[in-house]
Amino acid sequence: MHTPNAPKPVMNPYLAGILLGLVLLLSFLTLGAGLGASGGVARLAAWLEALAWPEHVRESAYFGAYFPAPLSYYLVFMCAGILVGGFFSALAAERVRPGVERGAAAGVALRLGLALAGGLLVGFSSRLGQGCTSGQALSGGALMLPGSLLFCLCLFAGGYLVAPLVRRQWHD
Amino acid sequence: MIETLYASGALNSPSGFLWATLLGVLFGLALERAGFGSSRRLAGVFYFEDMAVVKVMFSAMLTAMIGLNLAAALGILSFEALYLMPSVYGAYAVAGLVFGAGFVMSGWCPGTGLVGLASGKLDALVFLLGALLGSALYSELYPLLAGLARWGDSGAVLLPDLLGLPRPVFVTVFAVLGVAAFWLSEHLERRHYGRALATGKAFLAAVSAGFVLLAASLLSLPAPITAVTARGAPPEGFLAAIAEASDHIEPEELADRLMAGEPSLLVVDIRPAAEFAEFHLRGALNIPLEDLEAGLAPYRQGHLVVLCSGGMTHAAQARDHLARQGFENVYLLTDGLDGFIRRCLTPVSLRPAPVGPREAARINAWRAFFSASPAQAAGSPPLPYDGPLPGLVSTAWLAEHLTTPALRIIDLRAQPDYNYGHIPGSVCLSLESLRGSVGGLSSMLLPADLLARHFSLLGITPETLVVLVPGEKPHDATLAAMACERLGHRRYLILDGGFTAWEVEERPMDTLLPSIPETRYPAPAGPDGFTVDASGVLATLHDGRTVILDVRPAEYFSGQKTDEARAGHIPGAVNRPLTEDVQKDGEVSRLKPVPELEAAYAAIIPDKDTPVIVHCRTGHQASQGWFVLKRLLGYRNVKYYDGSWSEWASRPELPVETGEK
Repeated sequence: MHTPNAPKPVMNPYLAGILLGLVLLLSFLTLGAGLGASGGVARLAAWLEALAWPEHVRESAYFGAYFPAPLSYYLVFMCAGILVGGFFSALAAERVRPGVERGAAAGVALRLGLALAGGLLVGFSSRLGQGCTSGQALSGGALMLPGSLLFCLCLFAGGYLVAPLVRRQWHD
Repeated sequence: MIETLYASGALNSPSGFLWATLLGVLFGLALERAGFGSSRRLAGVFYFEDMAVVKVMFSAMLTAMIGLNLAAALGILSFEALYLMPSVYGAYAVAGLVFGAGFVMSGWCPGTGLVGLASGKLDALVFLLGALLGSALYSELYPLLAGLARWGDSGAVLLPDLLGLPRPVFVTVFAVLGVAAFWLSEHLERRHYGRALATGKAFLAAVSAGFVLLAASLLSLPAPITAVTARGAPPEGFLAAIAEASDHIEPEELADRLMAGEPSLLVVDIRPAAEFAEFHLRGALNIPLEDLEAGLAPYRQGHLVVLCSGGMTHAAQARDHLARQGFENVYLLTDGLDGFIRRCLTPVSLRPAPVGPREAARINAWRAFFSASPAQAAGSPPLPYDGPLPGLVSTAWLAEHLTTPALRIIDLRAQPDYNYGHIPGSVCLSLESLRGSVGGLSSMLLPADLLARHFSLLGITPETLVVLVPGEKPHDATLAAMACERLGHRRYLILDGGFTAWEVEERPMDTLLPSIPETRYPAPAGPDGFTVDASGVLATLHDGRTVILDVRPAEYFSGQKTDEARAGHIPGAVNRPLTEDVQKDGEVSRLKPVPELEAAYAAIIPDKDTPVIVHCRTGHQASQGWFVLKRLLGYRNVKYYDGSWSEWASRPELPVETGEK
C-alpha cells in the first residue's frame, strides 16, 4: 500500500481524537487551563504592531492590556510548541510538503486570497469570542461551558452557510 | 487534590511556560497525526465529504470531559482550580458565525494553521498573517466593539448546573449525542465515497460503547463536592488560598477597617457606573469589569484591593482573571454588597435575631459611617424640586437632600479650602476653568462645547439638579450660573449664604472626595441668546430704551480709578455697584431679600420689559446683576456683556464718558 515518498496514512480519527483529548486533559490537570492558540496569535500581533506604533498600541484599550510584556503569556509558548510538535510529526510521516494546497482546477491566487480573508475573519472573531476552535470550542466544550458550546454550534453554522460560496478553491 | 498552575497563579511563570510548551508539542503532534496539517481535509467537513473534524473534535471533547468529571468525582481535581471562560452568549454567537466563515474560506484555524505552517503549507502562512491582521483590527476597533464584546455576558457557569442536571447525567447525554454524530459522519462519508474512509463498523461500535459506558460509569460515583461560583452559590474554595478563606474579607471586618481609615485598603466596585451611582460603599472606587486590569495597575503593590459587586459571581470571575495576570493582592468581599448591606447596614430593629448591646453599637456606628456617603448619581431619576428654578436654595433644604442622587453640589471655593472640609459629596470646581481667552478677549465665558465637556467631567446630565456653592461672594455662584445658562441648563440652584452659612450653622462636613462617573453633557449649538458683544452694545446707545447697567464700584464708573486702558464708562450707562445687592449677616454674605432688590431696581429701570445690558470689568460681577434681574426679579430682556469694560476701554473707536451719574 505505502510507497516511498508518498505521505503515510493519517491516524484513525477516533484514536487521534482520544489522543488529543488526553493531551487536553493533561493540560487541565497541570496548567488548570485548556489548550489554545489564538491567544498566542493575538499576543504576537500586539507585539508586532507595537514594533511599528509603540505608543499607540500600549495606550489602546484592547492590546494595551497585554503590555509591558505581551509575549510573556502561556499560549505564546503553546503556539511555539505546536509548531515544533507539528513539524516533527509531519517529518516522521513524510507529510512536510511545501506548497499551496488547493483543488487542481483552482488558481493559487484564489486559494491564497481566501486563506488571507479567512485568516482576517478568524483573527478578528477569535478576539470577539475569546478563543478559537481549540481554546473556546474544544476546551470550553470539554468544560461543559454553555457559551463555548454555543460558539461551537455557531462555528459550524457559519461554516456551512459560507461553504458553497468558496467551494471553487477545491475543484479538481 | 491537584493544585494547578492557574490556581496557584503561576500560569505565566517559567514553570507555566515550560508546561505550555510541552503541551503545545503534544497538541501539535496530535493535530498532525489526525491529518489536520491539511486545509483540504479540514474543509472537507463543510462539504460532508471528510468528516474527520467532527470525529476528532468530539472524541477529544468527550475524552477530556469524561476525564475531568472522573478526576473531580475522585477528588483529584476541583473545577475551581480550572480557568472557566465566562459565557458571553451574544458575543460568542456572532464570533462563532464569523469564525466558521473564516474557517471554511481559509481551511484553517489558528492551531491547525500552525501545524500547516510546520508542514510547509504556504496557504497556512498566508492564513496566519491574516489572523495576525484580524487580531490587530479587532484591537483597533475595540472602542466601537466593547458593547458587542460584552453582549450577553452571563458569567462562568457550567451547562449542567444551568440545566439543573447532575453532571454525570449531562456527560452521559453528551456522550450519546457525540456517538450519534460519529455514526452520522460515517454514514455521510460512505454515501460520498461509497465506502468507509478509515473505520470499520466493529471499531466504531467499540468506540461508541466505550464512550457511553465510561460516561455512564460516572453515575455510580459519589457526587463531587465542588460548587462553582455559578448561580450565586458562594464558592467553597475558589483557589487554594480561598480554601482557607484567606482570600476573602468578611463584611464586618471590611466595615471596621474602612472606618479605621486604613490607607492601603482599596475597595473596588466593579459594577457598571450607573449601579455604582445608586449605591456604593463610602470611599469605594468604581472600575467597571472591563477596565479592571488597567484600572488596578497603579494599585498592584502596596495596596490591599477588595473587589465587590452585587453578589459574588462577577467579583470572583474578576479575581480569577486578575490572578492570571499576576495580581496577588486582590481579595473578595464575602457575600458581595448584598451581604454587606444585610450583615452590616441592616438596622438592629429589622434583624431576625436579637442583637446584644455591644453588637448594636457596632451596627449603629457602621450605619452612621456608611450612610454618610452621598450617592453620586448620573442618570438617576430627576430630583423633584418645587421651588423656582433657577433660584436660591436654603442650607436647610440642602442638608435634608444631601444624600439624594441626581443632585450635584459644586463647591466654587479655592481647592485647598475645599480639601480642608466641604459639604459631603460636593465636588470642587475652579471658576477660572469656565473662562478663557476667546477671540483675543481674556476672561470670557467659554463656548458651550467646552462648558459641556466640563459638565460631563462633573458627572452632570441635563436632568441633574445642580447646587452652586460660593464661598463668600455670591457673584462666584452667579458666574457658574452663566455657564449653566449658556448650556441651557435651568436645573440649578444657588446656595443662599454659600459655604460660609453652611459652616456657621455647623452642618455636616467631609474631607472625602466623591467618585463621579463621567457623563456626556450635550453641547447646544448656536448662540445662548443673552450674551452681547461690543457692537451689540454700541447699537443700543441711542435707542432711547436700553438701560446699560454698570455694576463696577462707583470710583471706577466715574473714572477716578481705572485698571484698564481707559477710565470712565459707556455713555449713558447707569451705575449700581454689585455690593449694593449683597448684605452681610455676621460673616455670611448673601443676596438681599427680593422685595428690597425689587424696589432698588424699580428706581433705575422703568419696567420689566425694558431692555437691560449688564456689564462690569471682566464679566464676573455682571453675572450677579444678570442673575438678580433675570432670575430673581423676572426682568424679561436682560443681556450680558461679557467683554465688559476690559474690551470697551481697549478699543479707542468706542465712546467713553466720565463723571458720576
